[in-house]
Amino acid sequence: MPELLKNLPSELKKNKLKTGIFVGLSAYWIIILIGTLIQFY
Amino acid sequence: MNIFLPIAEVSVNVIAIFSLSGVVGVLSGLFGVGGGFLMTPFLIFLGVPPTYAVANEANNILATSVSGSTTHYLKNTLDYKMGLMIVLGGIIGTLLGIWTFTYFKGTGKIDIVISLAYMYILAIIGTAMLVEGLGEIDKARKKIITKKKLHVHYWIHGLPLRMRFQKSKLYESAFTPIIIGLIVGFIAAIMGIGGAFILVPAMIYIIGMPTKLIPGTSLFVTIFVSVIVTFLHAFNYGSIDLILVTMLVLGSILGVQIGQKVGESIDSTGIKTLLALLLLLVGIAIAYDTFFAEKTTQEIIKINLNDLNPLSMFVKKLSLEAPILYGLFSIIFAITLGVSAAFIRKFLSNLRKQYFANKFKK
Repeated sequence: MPELLKNLPSELKKNKLKTGIFVGLSAYWIIILIGTLIQFY
Repeated sequence: MNIFLPIAEVSVNVIAIFSLSGVVGVLSGLFGVGGGFLMTPFLIFLGVPPTYAVANEANNILATSVSGSTTHYLKNTLDYKMGLMIVLGGIIGTLLGIWTFTYFKGTGKIDIVISLAYMYILAIIGTAMLVEGLGEIDKARKKIITKKKLHVHYWIHGLPLRMRFQKSKLYESAFTPIIIGLIVGFIAAIMGIGGAFILVPAMIYIIGMPTKLIPGTSLFVTIFVSVIVTFLHAFNYGSIDLILVTMLVLGSILGVQIGQKVGESIDSTGIKTLLALLLLLVGIAIAYDTFFAEKTTQEIIKINLNDLNPLSMFVKKLSLEAPILYGLFSIIFAITLGVSAAFIRKFLSNLRKQYFANKFKK
């Protein structure tokens, strides 16, 4: 696991498509989680 | 070309509903999923209120699962015993789901609960499918072959009341299929979906059933779950609109047959990634609609029974005056259409085989 984290920045640079998808998915998940909290409180 | 739905009390575009259900049907046939998690959001986008979208899509799923299940029955690829165990859990789950639905309907939050449920389910399936699809493409590119474990043991396998399932060649606790059925039934009742996207992976990875028995058994379970969901929605809320159901059933049955045929001749790995992206896009659209879009209060159309055409008048009167009969009629109607589609497919397939046999004889 630490090896994976160490190599993560170079892996991200190597594969821009995967980075884009990862960022997009993270943004989507953050929006729906925050949106849910706002809706209920 | 718009048509007024007498029960949902909204006008919808016939061509849009028919073609969308056809497209979702093709995707269902291609990937072996019910398609409810795509069609219900589409219905909501087309202006059908969420409570009506859920109920009518459940009725549509009943017809398509009857059609698919009959095809598997004719091929003898169905494990009834395992199916009935899952159904047992499914009944309890459905009743719990309808109770939860009623609770949120009472608090006036049902529409937001349905939207949120869809957002999360689409996000989970979309993310999982996207990661799996990209991984498969990567492996195919690098020509990596991974050996998968045949059966992984979880805590669920240690439960008591073990029994033999001859057809699946399994000796497993009865609680395993019952618990899975309970989860599927609960989700189906709230979201108006068949639950195949949970049931199929659970049957493969948790129960460990042989692959050839999975689609038929999953469809067999979906029949019972969607019968209960349809009946309870029709009886409790009077939300089944037979005119909408007819459009949905015709489109999806036709689409499923096309999808199954196309699926036999293409590799679906790349398309799986595209489907994942489509699911995520629908999820984003629901998130935008729920969190950011300007809220408009929907105009309630007060209708006079005498203004409706004879068919709409009959549907409306039957739903108001005899809800039990109407619920039963919706179920029988969907089953009849489903069985007819399966037999028509069998007949056309035999006809095609005969044609080719005669051609080669000559």
